[in-house]
This record gives sequence, C-alpha cells and structure tokens, in this order.
Amino acid sequence: MAVSPLVSHSPSAASSSPAKLRAANVRSSATKPENASSHQPSQNTDRELTEQLNDEVRQKYVKDKRLGEGTYAVVFLGRLRTDPSSFVAIKKIKVNAEYKDGLSMDAIREVKYLQELSHPNIIALHDVFSSKDQNLNLVLEYLPLGDLEMLIKDGNVHYGAADVKAWMGMLARGVWFCHENFILHRDIKPNNLLIASDGEVKLADFGLARSFADPYLNMTHQVITRWYRPPELLYGARQYSGVVDVWSMGMVFAELLLRVPFVAGNTDLDQISKICEAFGTPTEENWPGVSKLPNYIAPDRNHLVPTQGRDFFLRQFPNAGPVGADLLMSMCTLDPRKRKTACEVLQHIWWTSEPRPTDKHDLPRKSGGTRKMGDDLTRRGGEIDENAFKNAARKLDFSAM
Amino acid sequence: MPPQNRILDRGDDDEVCPVCKSSRYLNPDMRFLINPECYHKMCESCVDRIFSGGPANCPVAGCHKTLRKNRFRKQTFEDINVEREVDIRRRVMQILNRREEEFDSKRAWDDFLEQREEIIANLVTGTDVSKTESDLQAYASENVRSIRANQALEAQEATSFQEQQTLEQEQARLRRQAARQEYEDERREILAGREDVISRLASGKPTDAATIAREGQKILLKKSSARRSEEERIRQKQAALRNSDAKKAGAPVATTERAGDTGLIKGLKKIKTPEPEKPYDPFMGMVPNKRDYYTLRDHYPSGYLDPIRQDTRMQAGGYDVREYYSRTLLEAFAGLGCFVDEEVSKRDASTALGLSRPATEGAAMAAVTSSGLNDEKI
Repeated sequence: MAVSPLVSHSPSAASSSPAKLRAANVRSSATKPENASSHQPSQNTDRELTEQLNDEVRQKYVKDKRLGEGTYAVVFLGRLRTDPSSFVAIKKIKVNAEYKDGLSMDAIREVKYLQELSHPNIIALHDVFSSKDQNLNLVLEYLPLGDLEMLIKDGNVHYGAADVKAWMGMLARGVWFCHENFILHRDIKPNNLLIASDGEVKLADFGLARSFADPYLNMTHQVITRWYRPPELLYGARQYSGVVDVWSMGMVFAELLLRVPFVAGNTDLDQISKICEAFGTPTEENWPGVSKLPNYIAPDRNHLVPTQGRDFFLRQFPNAGPVGADLLMSMCTLDPRKRKTACEVLQHIWWTSEPRPTDKHDLPRKSGGTRKMGDDLTRRGGEIDENAFKNAARKLDFSAM
Repeated sequence: MPPQNRILDRGDDDEVCPVCKSSRYLNPDMRFLINPECYHKMCESCVDRIFSGGPANCPVAGCHKTLRKNRFRKQTFEDINVEREVDIRRRVMQILNRREEEFDSKRAWDDFLEQREEIIANLVTGTDVSKTESDLQAYASENVRSIRANQALEAQEATSFQEQQTLEQEQARLRRQAARQEYEDERREILAGREDVISRLASGKPTDAATIAREGQKILLKKSSARRSEEERIRQKQAALRNSDAKKAGAPVATTERAGDTGLIKGLKKIKTPEPEKPYDPFMGMVPNKRDYYTLRDHYPSGYLDPIRQDTRMQAGGYDVREYYSRTLLEAFAGLGCFVDEEVSKRDASTALGLSRPATEGAAMAAVTSSGLNDEKI
C-alpha cells in the first residue's frame, strides 16, 4: 500500500496499444490514487481496472452524428451524458494500415501536446478514451463556426483591418503560448485555425507538433504545409526554432489581407523561387550561412532579387497600414535569426495602434462551420499537396453515409 | 393674462385694427400680427410705426408689456387662447423633453407625462405661474446637456423617418418594375418557344411532331424554373440588404444625464456610465517572460553548447540556444513553489464542489510523460 501512485510501472505493456493504455494508466493514477496503489496488482485485475476507468470516461459522452471523415480520422458530434446541451467533438483515430503495431505519430503527438496546453486560443482536449474496437478517441472542444480559410475564401464575407487584427491577435497568442511551453506547432495555416461559437480563434491540429529539440538533435524539415513553410525548412535545415511558426503566421496574415495565399508554390522548388521573388533572394549577405544549409540552391547571379523593404510591404498590403506592414515584414524576414519571435510579435506597437481589434463577438462569421470542423479535424497535417487534397475533401459527401 | 374677448370677435371684411382703428374695408392688404408676450393683435403698419425705433410698450390700454418688433408674428390659430397654449406647450415640451426609455418604469413615465401636463395647465390658466416658471428655469439650467442631447435625437429621428419613407417608396417602385419586367420576359419567352416549335415542326418530318412538341414544353419548363431560382436568389440578396440597412439605422443608445438636484422629475433611470474600454492587451493578461526565481541571461558559458554557437549551418537554420536556456532553466526551477499539500487540499475541495478537472489531470499526466521523456533523452 505504500507504493506511490506516480511510480506505478506500467504492467499493461503487454496490451496491443501500449501508448493508449499508458495514458489511461497515468490518468487513473491521477484520479484514483488509492486504487492504483494496490499492492502487487496481478495483470488481470489491472487490465480490468484500466478498462473500467476507460469505460468511465467513455460513458461520460454520447456520440451523435458524424461531422466528417478523412483518411486519418472520423469526427463525431458528441455531448456530455449529464448535460445534453454541452457539445464536444469526438475525433476517432482510424486504425491505420501504416501503423499496424501501434498508433500513428500524429495521434500520439496530438494527445501529448494538446493535454499539456490549456489556453483560450488553443483547442481544448477534454478527454481521451479507447472505444470497443481499440480505436483512440479524442474528446475535443466543439468549434462550430468553421475556420479562417472559409472566411477568407467566401467573397460574401467582408472584413476589415480591425477584424484581421483581432484574428491575428488570437493566433499570435496561441502560438506564443505553445512556444512559451516549448512546443512547435509546425502546421499553422488558415484551415487549422478553427473558430469557436463566441468568435475566438483556436489553434487546432497538433499532429505535427513537437517540443523544442535539445541541442544537436535533428528535426525533420518535412513539416508545415508548403505555402506556409519558411525558407529554412525548404532549404532542409535540421535545427530550427520557434520562428518557423512565426513565418507561417506571417503567411496567414498576408493571406488574410489579400484573401488569396500569398506565396503558393506548386512544388518545394517552386515555393523557394516564389519566396525569392516576393521577399528577395537569400544570399550570404542578408542571411549569413544560408549556403551551408543542406538543400541550398545557389541562385542565378543574374536574377538576384534585392531584399524587399518597407515600401514593398506597404505597397503590397495597403490595408495593413504602415505599422501593420512593418510587423508583417518582421514576420517574413528570410533569416530566421532576424525574424521576430512570437513574443516579440505580440510586443509590436501594431496591436495597440488604431484601429482597435474588433471584439471577438462582433467578428464576421459564417454558418455551416460544423462540416468544416469535421473536415479540418480529420485531415492529416502537413505536407500533402494542398490543392489536390482540398478538392478531394470538398468532393466527399458525408451526408450520404 | 388672457386677452379680452372683444378683440377677438371680428368679421372678415370689417376687421378693425384695435390700435389705429383702420379697417380692412379701406385697406384690403392689411395683415394682423401678434406678439407672444401679451397676444394683443395689431396691424402690420402699427407694428412698424410703434416698434421700429426699438422696444416699446404695448399700445393696448392697460397692458404694460414691453414688446420687441422681431417677436411679432402671424397668428396661426383663430382663437388667441389656443395660440397661446400652443406656444406655452411648445416651450415646456422643449425643456421637459425626457424620453420614455430614460424612465425606470412605465408608471414613472406616465407620472412624468402627467406632471408635464400639469405644468402646462398651470401656465395656461395662470395658477402658480411664478413658482412653475422658476422650477422650469432651474430644471432647464441644470439639465442643459440632456435637453440638448434629446433634441438632437428627436431631430435625427425625424430625418431618419423621412429617409425610411423615401427608401420604402423606392423599393416598392423597384419591386413593381421587376415584376413588370419578369412578366414581359416570361411572355416573350413563351412566344419565342412557340415560334421555335412551329418552325421546327415546319422543317421536320411529320412523325417527329409529338417529340418536338414535348421537347418544346420541356425547354419552356426548364427556363421558367431557372428563372424562378434566379428570382429567389435576387430576393434573398435584397432581404439581406434590407436587414443590414435596418441594423445601421438602429437608434443610438440615449445617454442620459443625472437629473438636477431640484428633483423635478422622479423615476429616472440610474445612469450607467459605460466603463471606459480598457486598452487592448495583446497578451490578454498573461505576462511574457515572467520568471519567479531567476532572470534569463542572453549567454551562459558552456562547453557543451559552444559548437552550436559556431556551427554556421545550425545558426543559419535559426536554432536558438536561448530557447534551450529558457527551457532548461524553467525545468530546473519547475518544482520550486509547488506545494503538493496545498494543491491536494485545493483539489479535494474542488472535487467536493463537483467540478470536473480534466485540465489538472492533463497537466499531471503531461508532467509525468514529459519528465519521463526528458530523462530518456539525457
């Protein structure tokens, strides 16, 4: 009886999905330490205990209709059994052919990081449980108003500089909070920015997230949807920092202002050339050491685009105003060391200058976001070609299923 | 001071100016004017004659009011008593121009209306005139701002009402025009379709007659359904437009001033001065870079980290050692200031209240998993 609840070595390792049961185990020790500290639990009773706890969580929710389905997950609308007016989204991760022996990385990452983060601008993970067929179910916050992409694309939705500032503020706070907790999101784009019923923008899809790497540890550069991927990742950097998310934020900012993706390359190479055209060619002068990056391509000496100054941003984004253009420029600096960090972004004077950001309740909104949430949460993050993927998702008709 | 009745009885033709006794019979262009000071009637030429040289006493015997020329005006009502009451009413209403939404209850509003009528009646009939007047003046001087605000509001309402009227008329006209146009289009299409069928019948074989006729019918139906959906779309757009207009026209919230100390009017709503909007905080109350037990420096000497600082590739990729400093120090100090006993008692208290605590659970779980992972890495 003297065993501490936190050192209960996981006897459930023999189970088919170790990660899930481990999670359930830790949860159990946090909720019911008196049960978990039973002396020398036999494998059988412990399995029963974890299953019992799992059932307890599962019984808390009632699954309702299906909101969307992708290759990676199915999203259901759910509600609390005790309070039928409280909605949740239940994301059921499909057992994937690629990961027969366990869970996909995306699911693990999502659970691991979402449960650490509790912030108004990050989607909340209420619970995790496994269903009868050994599938992992994430109980997420229900965000019925769709995502930012939907608003950007809909020509009938009109928004102004104050609205953009409000959205960017919420995005920047979410990203800053992740970085403050040493987590890289690595897939920031408008359709991962979901909107809650009160208008609050929430960062979702942590399938590509990871914690800041320790020194000398390599990270993959194959992250972040291409149009939002910073040049250092395109050049194959294996050691990078939080400012990769800041670049994505800058791209979202530009897209909010232009209402079309700002640099939309068809391939990684195309993306690099588009970035060069837009912001200037990376050279040793404006980005010391760039030529040492693994995938660096020496630019054509005759077609060097000079680094763009403030006037360029002001010309390209007149509705941002001079202060906004300055902020955008500092978010889209080629050299990651000169780029602003998420915290510095939030300290910029743009936030406090005119116009004041719109109150979240007064932001433009659009109905029909539930389906969109279904689509967004079932997507696997990252490098899938946006064009091909998007159209496919749109063509799927879930209502017939 | 009601004017004497004999001034008022008059015929149209032999109207006589009570001052100069000239009659309309001799001077058909004669116009009569009154001054709201005493309401004694006199002809235009008398006014010119007596008051051109500045203020003078009323020429009517027994009336000692001092009148000014610029205050003379034409009479609106035949009955001079009505004229006078209307003037008084107008003046009182201008001062006591509170609005219904400024009162706590319907009852208070009704009381106010009654009080206003009483004041008017007092002034008209001449009871307690001096006291009523002084009350009114005191109220007016104390509530200058709210009086002015309500006046502005009234003027605005009047104009917006007019605008609304013209807008509605315009919309009705557009609707009529659209309906006419639609009718015309439909008729033309039916005719065209019929002609098309006839010409095809003329050119085609006689056996195809039935099919051609059926096709023609089908095309016609298709066209009309397409038109209908188009109309529906336009109608929806117009409805949306109307809604947005209505929203814009929404009356601004009347900001009321505190009623004066004389307390002439009871039952006014307590004024809630809207809280001044706080400046926008980009961090929404969180404090960036706040560390309880240490201050983060930009550089720490470390043989382990030196190679990174010199590695151009890692530097060019943007790897930031400061993030590592920040994280390591935070984790090193993470346990300090964490008092398990207190947290446990707090947690038990919250469970007793029946609060769900997925967040704390999650955090506990996260702490376990992340610390485990770090141990593995190091």
